[in-house]
Amino acid sequence: MATPSNDILRGTLDLLILKTLTLQPMHGWGISQRIEQFTRGLLEVNQGSLYPALQRLEQKGWIESEWGATENNRKARYYRLTRDGRTALGTETDSWRRYVSAVEWVLGTS
Amino acid sequence: MKPLRAMSRWWKVLFRRASTEAELDDEIQLHLEMETAKNIRGGMPADLARREALIAFGGVDAIKEAHRDGRGVRWFEDVVADSRYALRTFRRNPLLAATAILTLALGIGANTAIFSVVNRVILRPLPFPSPDQLMMLAEDNPEKGWHQQVAAPANYLDWQERVPAFADVAAYDDRVSRQTLSVGEDPVLVSRANVTGNFFSVLEVPAAVGRVFRPEETWGSSSNVAVISYRFWQRQFAGDRAIIGRIVHLNGVATEIAGVMPKRFAFPSPDADLWTPFAWQASERSQIHFRRAHWIRVVARLKPGVSQQQANAQFQGVVRQLQVEYPETNRVMGADMTPLHDFLVGKVRQPLWVLLGSVVLLLLIACANVGNLLLVQALGREREAALRLALGAGRGRLVQQSLTESLVLSALGGLAGLALGWLGTDALSALQPAGMLPVGDVALDWSVVGYVVAVTTASGLLFGVAPAIWRGRRAPADVLKEGGRLGSEGSRIRRWANALVVAEIALALLLTTGAGLLVRSFWRLQQVDPGFDPKGVLAVAINLPPARYDTSTKIISFFDELQGRARSLPGVTEAATVVTPALTGIGWTSDFHIAGRPADEYGTEVVHRTAAPGYFRVMRIPLRSGRVFTDADRDGSPPVLVINETLARQYFKNQDPVGQRMAFDRVPDSTSVWYTIVGVVGSERQASLAIEPRIEVFTPFAQAPNEYMTLMLRSSVPPTTLAASVRQLVREMDPELAIVSIDPMEALWSRSVASQRFFMTLLLAFASVGLALAIVGVYGVIAQVARRRTREMGIRIALGARATHVQWLIVSHGLRLVLVGLALGIGAAFGATRAMRALLYEVAPSDPLTFLIVPLLLVITALAASWLPAARASHADPANTLRTD
Repeated sequence: MATPSNDILRGTLDLLILKTLTLQPMHGWGISQRIEQFTRGLLEVNQGSLYPALQRLEQKGWIESEWGATENNRKARYYRLTRDGRTALGTETDSWRRYVSAVEWVLGTS
Repeated sequence: MKPLRAMSRWWKVLFRRASTEAELDDEIQLHLEMETAKNIRGGMPADLARREALIAFGGVDAIKEAHRDGRGVRWFEDVVADSRYALRTFRRNPLLAATAILTLALGIGANTAIFSVVNRVILRPLPFPSPDQLMMLAEDNPEKGWHQQVAAPANYLDWQERVPAFADVAAYDDRVSRQTLSVGEDPVLVSRANVTGNFFSVLEVPAAVGRVFRPEETWGSSSNVAVISYRFWQRQFAGDRAIIGRIVHLNGVATEIAGVMPKRFAFPSPDADLWTPFAWQASERSQIHFRRAHWIRVVARLKPGVSQQQANAQFQGVVRQLQVEYPETNRVMGADMTPLHDFLVGKVRQPLWVLLGSVVLLLLIACANVGNLLLVQALGREREAALRLALGAGRGRLVQQSLTESLVLSALGGLAGLALGWLGTDALSALQPAGMLPVGDVALDWSVVGYVVAVTTASGLLFGVAPAIWRGRRAPADVLKEGGRLGSEGSRIRRWANALVVAEIALALLLTTGAGLLVRSFWRLQQVDPGFDPKGVLAVAINLPPARYDTSTKIISFFDELQGRARSLPGVTEAATVVTPALTGIGWTSDFHIAGRPADEYGTEVVHRTAAPGYFRVMRIPLRSGRVFTDADRDGSPPVLVINETLARQYFKNQDPVGQRMAFDRVPDSTSVWYTIVGVVGSERQASLAIEPRIEVFTPFAQAPNEYMTLMLRSSVPPTTLAASVRQLVREMDPELAIVSIDPMEALWSRSVASQRFFMTLLLAFASVGLALAIVGVYGVIAQVARRRTREMGIRIALGARATHVQWLIVSHGLRLVLVGLALGIGAAFGATRAMRALLYEVAPSDPLTFLIVPLLLVITALAASWLPAARASHADPANTLRTD
């Protein structure tokens, strides 16, 4: 059930994940913590919806994953940004900025 | 997406589904643990921390579903799941599944078998390189009513030399003859085909072992060569390669084996054991008989890049030149060029399309039947479907599941059908009358498999569509409210079922009418008087090798002695020889002139046969006037003729033919031989039962001896019991002579209608199955109606209605369906049977009797099928039916 607001959200979530992974490879929970930190809780996202998003990005080839161990020696899947992903992040960020400024301009002129 | 990654993803999805799921579980588990731990660190009690973690995560199952959808092959997983579910459903209701699969297997099996014949004979190209370049050249003569007739050798040679568009032109004799071959002492019978030296090179088929003929071998020389078939090589010489160069004796003539053809080479006939060159004499070419006697088939290979039109234009030009150059023989001789493949399959093309049409009809009936079964089943599973809908399954998903079930069913039916069809294909090759199909082997190949997959899928969709649509449409609330009993909504499904039955009846009528026409036609053929009495007659064909029987005297004395000694065999009442027994074909024909008629008045196409004096008595052919031959009609006595009634009626209308004279030239001259007509006999059908007698003359054997004769024996015992003593007699007279064939005349009679019988039997079988399926369909629907109205009938009977009246309520429902089906079917049949015209003998495609009997048959059987459940329902005890819910 795709509605416009969800689409924006989905694109946003993808962007946030990519941005988060520029720092270092991370597992799912780590990513969710980092995003919460970034957004200071302003964006209400189900933590679970991270996983379909990760799957989507992996299928696009923007991130890749491998199994590793946490500090507590638990088995975890770590996601890492690929070169394609890094490029994509650049273009996605640009288009996001254009989008935001367009919306701001519209809101500002009315 | 990069192909490698896509592949690894599909791999994971299809084969590592379980581990993908486990990994996802792990990931989610870890996430929840860490979130819970974080909450505890923040000071929450353990159970609250866990609950908060779950809330923050969102619905775990929804996420998993989203993840599964994200794998992008959801539909495939659904199909797998639905297929598994379908198989489980079939296992729960094995009778229904078995019925459906068997019904489909019959339909698909019949399609497989017939399509493999159509594919092999019509669709596949001839098994020669560049087969499109091969053209059949044949002679047309409007005056004699010839179309695509055999050609005269001299004309063939001129075509070969004068038409530049032809790369080369070959010829062969399509009458494969049976001759004796001796390797050492034992004579064996072989089928020999005479061909030109370039025959194999025009077809572009090289020898498997040794060599094929050389072009110059068309012409006779001191050495004789033969090429043998692969089959004969294996059978007679056990595949010995050292056979090349061996000398064998063919009809008494020393012949060298030059080569062995490849396994699949079967031209001009699958029977051919060996090929020999014509061995014409160069001096013959200028003689008139070389242009007058028409007896060879001609195959041309076009030069690459030359179109058929160009070649034909040049060819017709040459034919016109020959008309001018040789007016005596070619004045009205036209010619025809047809692609070889068209020529070879011409005769069986239409019957095969009719057969294919009939098995498609059969399959449609099968589909309607299975569709009905599934509808009934869907009815029983209403609540299941409704429950699924209520639980949130999409309607599309329900339709998809229903279609998947149908496709699984049709796939099972298709597999069983393929197996059935494979057996059927073997049976068809074995049962086809000898030489009917121009191919020896009919086998399954990939295009047949493709066809089967296509019809299987199509039928699955076809019979699956009704239940699927219906299931998708139902409102779940209604079903659940109805509490499992069908209320008003059931009428929609009944309409579907009624429509299917009407369609079945219409299709069955179409099919049965086709079969009915063939049966009528065959019945008329059986009634045909062949002009002789075949009962108790044995035909023994003998071919004297010309090398040893090189004079007329030797031939005459052999057959005279054979005939004389055969008469004294126990059980034999009469014996006489004839050149070609009736119903087996036309030996040769000629023009003729009747003495005393205007010089330009002549007849054409009179059949010639040679017979011993006793022949007409053996065959019980009536003498109409004059006399038959006597022993006094010998060499040296005046030449005499006995003519058939057809000739007498056509050419001696108000005249007694006896005493008249005939010559077999168009324009008689001083060299013409005049024959005196001494008698008129009843006409035999010469070519086949379906062909009217042709005008014919008989010459006495003693005046026109022939080394190829058939001894006809009339016996007081079953004719086949004579075979052993006849063989013994021939062996005593000439130990090296092999008998070509021994057949009861009744067998020849039946063989002459073998292909009609073959097509009739097949179509009748298909129609019977189709009819049975349709009647079962009627029964099924009416049984449902009866079950539904049992309560109503009970009430009526309780209120005093008569049982017959109550039964009629149900039966009339069936009758209405049948009548609508008949109306549709008769309309379609009137149109469709016209395609069968060429298959019918003296029966019109709209034969009133067939169009009366077949619908009547359908009405009666359908009424019986409707009455059965009606009677059962009306006999139920009203007290019981009223109590049951």
